[in-house]
Amino acid sequence: MKRAVSIVLCLAMILCSVALFASCGNKTYEIAIVTDVGQLKDGGFNEGTYNGAKNYAEKNNITYQYYQPANGANATDNDRIAAMRQAVKNGAKIIIAPGFLQATAMETVAKDSPEVKFVFIDGWALGLDNVTAVVYKEEESGYMAGYAAVMDGYTKLGGTFGGGGTNPACNRFGFGFVQGAAAAASELATDIEIKYSYKYGSGFGSSPELQTQIAGWYAAGTQVVFSCGGSMVQSVKSAAEETTNGKIIGVDVDQASLSDRVITSAVKGLSVSVEKILTQFYAGEWDAKLANKTSNLGAADDATGIPFDTSRFQKFTKAQYEALFAKVKAGEISISSEVPENCNDAAWLTAAVADNAHVTIVFDK
Amino acid sequence: MTFIIQKTLVYSIPLLIVALAGMFAERSGIINLALEGEMIFGAFIGAVAVYLFQTGNILVEHPQIMYVVAMIIGAAAGAVYSLLLSFSAVKLKADQTIGGTALNMLSPALVNTLALTFFSQEKLVMPLSTNFVLKNEDAGEFLKIFIDKAYISTPIIIILFIVLSVWIYKTRTGMRMRACGEHPQAADSVGINVDKMRYLGTTISGALAGCGGYIYIATTAGGTAESTVAGMGFLALAIMIFGNWKPLGIALGAVMFGFLKCIGAVSSSIDLLKNLGLPMYFYNIIPYFVVLVVLAFTAKKSGCPKAEGIPYDKGMR
Repeated sequence: MKRAVSIVLCLAMILCSVALFASCGNKTYEIAIVTDVGQLKDGGFNEGTYNGAKNYAEKNNITYQYYQPANGANATDNDRIAAMRQAVKNGAKIIIAPGFLQATAMETVAKDSPEVKFVFIDGWALGLDNVTAVVYKEEESGYMAGYAAVMDGYTKLGGTFGGGGTNPACNRFGFGFVQGAAAAASELATDIEIKYSYKYGSGFGSSPELQTQIAGWYAAGTQVVFSCGGSMVQSVKSAAEETTNGKIIGVDVDQASLSDRVITSAVKGLSVSVEKILTQFYAGEWDAKLANKTSNLGAADDATGIPFDTSRFQKFTKAQYEALFAKVKAGEISISSEVPENCNDAAWLTAAVADNAHVTIVFDK
Repeated sequence: MTFIIQKTLVYSIPLLIVALAGMFAERSGIINLALEGEMIFGAFIGAVAVYLFQTGNILVEHPQIMYVVAMIIGAAAGAVYSLLLSFSAVKLKADQTIGGTALNMLSPALVNTLALTFFSQEKLVMPLSTNFVLKNEDAGEFLKIFIDKAYISTPIIIILFIVLSVWIYKTRTGMRMRACGEHPQAADSVGINVDKMRYLGTTISGALAGCGGYIYIATTAGGTAESTVAGMGFLALAIMIFGNWKPLGIALGAVMFGFLKCIGAVSSSIDLLKNLGLPMYFYNIIPYFVVLVVLAFTAKKSGCPKAEGIPYDKGMR
């Protein structure tokens, strides 16, 4: 009896799974997004990329799907490879993968599937004709955010960055932020202090440690904290909202709606550039414009900046922002993006602003 | 000073209540390794409740009441979830360690699946900006600890902790429950229903863990629920063992862990500590080191309930 029951159950299970696969098999998705560590709805990097693809796909009636590699923040190259292969299997024609960590996985899968195109956001050309890379001049957005904050009257700034000092995008954001704040400090001839840390959030997540650290900053007088890394903003937000006046600067996308403490965000035009690339791809311009190329997007492409209209500034005016943006766009302000490979060390940053007497760097390691 | 005490409490309160949760289960004779899983599940269901309140515009004007309700719902979810453990351990007489581990694996997967199904993301972010923090800047220094930049969960949990500690030591049901963890055959021989006591202990345990889970996400991540609570459940287990299965020891352990974690995170904002220049790893190591040392010296007279982990068998004397 028992055996009969178990055989029936086994058969039922096999049938179910076959049915499940069959139903999956019917559906194909042309545009695939394979997310970086962190979450799809991180209110930032992944979400911005996804929204770009979604906008384009919905406008043009194309199917799209996102894939999150297994194991979340601890995803390995194998998890990413599995996610990309799944995307290929589901009929993807173009796979958009944000995050420099995807290099190995993308190289592997792109070689296996030469007919599928890959878009490597925050990456570099891999020497493969079916891969195109997009990088942003994050230092420009960081610069504008830092400049605006100091111009708006903030003198005690902080910045907490994800990736533990090895994420190039976060490092460029941070370095730009410091340069912008420093430039505004010399312009106003006021002294400013910048706290800078990679201490928590190497996996871009929120944590009580991060919340406590930032609460400590606010308690010690820091007025505004640049939260640079995915879900870390949740902890910064918790810390800010415990104070009367603590402010936040968001990152990647406009995060003003997250909390009324967000004064502005250092954005990069993720969704805009994803849409642009998809347009070029579907117009048949891949080989001419994208294959094995790296697009380096900045203010000149309207891909960096701060969203002024949703910003909550007291003194910094739109005219000031437009003047700043024009200067950055024209290349009149030179913003360095020369950061060391591992930035979790006070020496390079202090050295970088050593000639500016108005700036004090407090590196929280 | 007030700041450090408050931040210590942010860490300590979830640890305190979840370690007490572990104690309740073990005192009744069930090893509750599933604390982590119960926390994750409680946190998620609490977050779902707040999500529904906010989208349905219920209690939005009264964040404190909403917070307490969410804590209660989280507790209820943890209690229901823990029934899986008590059912397998009491009714089916299964190995409790394996049952607990299974629940720890099930919970994140369940939360991911539910979140992906209903919210199409692995993380449940609140639709409105959620912060349950209390603000009373004019309060006196001592009162500020509890009512300024603090959470209403802090006093509630402290009171609950005291009440439950007294309950398990001084009331008849509490003592009966403890008897079932020490010598269930003897307890049975005087007419105590061992199975019922073990169900009760594990359910209280699950409720406290679920409540602790929601407090954890509400005070540190703006109420955003994910499929993890960063190992707080296991840390709480360690604290329970450090506390020798006794409330006072647990309180001491939780405050010590909380304090050192807090010091590690804020060391750069306090001049005295900044001048010491110790890396945060130092502070992170101390509590574990202390636990090892304490266990090495006290292991012989461990207060571990004698019958924990052993399924109750009437025929065995």
